[in-house]
Amino acid sequence: MGDFGEIPLDASSVALAVFRENYGFVPRLYRAQSSLPRLVEAEAALASAILFQHTTLTRIEKESIVLAEAAGRGNKYSAALQWQTLLLLGVSTERLAQLTSGDSPAVSAPALDQCLAAAWASFICTLAAGLCVDPDFAPPPLPACAAARAAPGIYRGEMNGSPDGSAFAFFREHLGFVPNLFRAQAARPAVVEAEAGLIASLLMTEDALTIRQKELVMLVACAWDRNEYGLALWSELLRRAGMPLETCDRIAAGDIAGPDKPLLDFAARLSAGESDLASLREHRCTGPQILEAIAATALAKFLNTLQIGLGVAPDFEPRPVAWPSVENISNLSAEQPRPTDEWVPVDPDLETVNAVRSGNIDAFEQLIERHSRRVYRTLVGILGDPEDARDAMQDSFLKAFQHLENFQGRAKFSTWLVSIATNTGLQRLRERKPLESLDESGPEAEETFRPRQIRAWTDDPEQLYSQAERRKLIESNVMKLPAKYRIAVVLRDLELLSTEDAAAALGLEIPTLKTRLLRGRLMLREALAPHFTRRGSEVAN
Amino acid sequence: MISCADFMAEIGNYLEGDAAVEVRHQLEQHLAHCVTCQVVVDSSKKTIQIVTDSGSFDLPDPDLKPIASEIMNKIRKEHGKT
Repeated sequence: MGDFGEIPLDASSVALAVFRENYGFVPRLYRAQSSLPRLVEAEAALASAILFQHTTLTRIEKESIVLAEAAGRGNKYSAALQWQTLLLLGVSTERLAQLTSGDSPAVSAPALDQCLAAAWASFICTLAAGLCVDPDFAPPPLPACAAARAAPGIYRGEMNGSPDGSAFAFFREHLGFVPNLFRAQAARPAVVEAEAGLIASLLMTEDALTIRQKELVMLVACAWDRNEYGLALWSELLRRAGMPLETCDRIAAGDIAGPDKPLLDFAARLSAGESDLASLREHRCTGPQILEAIAATALAKFLNTLQIGLGVAPDFEPRPVAWPSVENISNLSAEQPRPTDEWVPVDPDLETVNAVRSGNIDAFEQLIERHSRRVYRTLVGILGDPEDARDAMQDSFLKAFQHLENFQGRAKFSTWLVSIATNTGLQRLRERKPLESLDESGPEAEETFRPRQIRAWTDDPEQLYSQAERRKLIESNVMKLPAKYRIAVVLRDLELLSTEDAAAALGLEIPTLKTRLLRGRLMLREALAPHFTRRGSEVAN
Repeated sequence: MISCADFMAEIGNYLEGDAAVEVRHQLEQHLAHCVTCQVVVDSSKKTIQIVTDSGSFDLPDPDLKPIASEIMNKIRKEHGKT
């Protein structure tokens, strides 16, 4: 299973209660996402609205649709979960075998509920494939057939259904309109509300991936699904955020460059049914970032399946896109240098920065909210003291505000802000701790490191402790590092700045930054080793 | 064949994927038979991953609002706003 949070969800979690009540346990699919509880809660609410709450279809009918769809997609995880669920609901193994072998479930209710169940299947199958979750039960035999797809256009009613309902308020408030896809579900306000909840929890947060990155993932997933509706919608939303439509079209066509390339390559692969977690790990994506990339792809699949099933007309003019193909995947995976005049991602803060510059001072609060965690982490890394860091954080934001006119957009605003925070922190450190200098220019490169801890580590060290325990362990040991090593580790391994940006922020040459980073990492390794070595392992010779 | 000391001198670039092809080849030849360096590389990679995934030094939500309000109050005061 991918490591996205083995910690148990909070005992008071509503999601836990929903899953326990309806499955009798918490499936691994959701436990694997426990590092982002907001996501699990939103998924539980949507599962509840689509599958568990009473509608004109029975739960068995809806779960049967999900099983048939999962089997059609060859998704072992979801098929196993659905099989076991239906077995417990009293469905015979003979009937279950029929469902997994392509026999469509007999339903006689509005097609909306049928489409929702199929869309839910699409969602959980994509999540399970992306997260590489081991099945909770032995999977049933699945046919070696192509993925089943909902027949397009089987439902075209209620397109104008009561968009004034409270369930639509979210879309009006955040988008300024209610997309046709949600208007078409007016008969199921609880579902629309749960969908809005998932969109808010997943796409409108900034603590893992940025909103822009997630919208790009949605765009790419729609392109790989060849879904005109979704492509037009996400292109328009990206355009409103400042990205030219031509850039959206190029990305949708598979012509991707820039720092988000690994993320979007991953989304493209997952949309085509392949999960390549290693590639994101190699590019230093964190667990929550990977989890959000998977969940955003799954959400796009959910909405696309629903749109195809309902036959909803696009809200905007369809984009003239050359659909990406398998050839694009191989092109995407090749390490091809691109000309520098290719797409450079638009700074997601630029619009807000310009608003502040134009006199809307209140907009600066948005920048504080978006970046305070980053600034705080940087300052704790430099000062080694949370109270000092809080104080210096105020100074940093005030300086940023005062010098906003000097921000020229050559780097992203967030990088510029971290540089200000770094300078603020370094200045304080020099004033308060003259003995703990960051400026020592000693013969760092000549220092010889001799590892003392040479026992092999356990294969999956993160499984040994809860996330809270790991965090405490890391924080206490990072704090013990000398300041010059600590800040290098914080900027590179916690802030995930590039080597170049971290060196620039600290005013260091790149080789010096690299040396300090290595020393910090190796010192941390020594300190952490007693907690993660294999029990009874031999000392390496 | 390079020594463990040579390997340790290059481990930074190796972990970052920055080692030149020829150097990387030599390092991997050394790794193939040196258990100690294998352990150091493996545990260093795991250290980086654990640190990155730890969510350390995150500012708790309840602490954020008052700090943001205080900063905004100072800014507004400076600009003569209430």
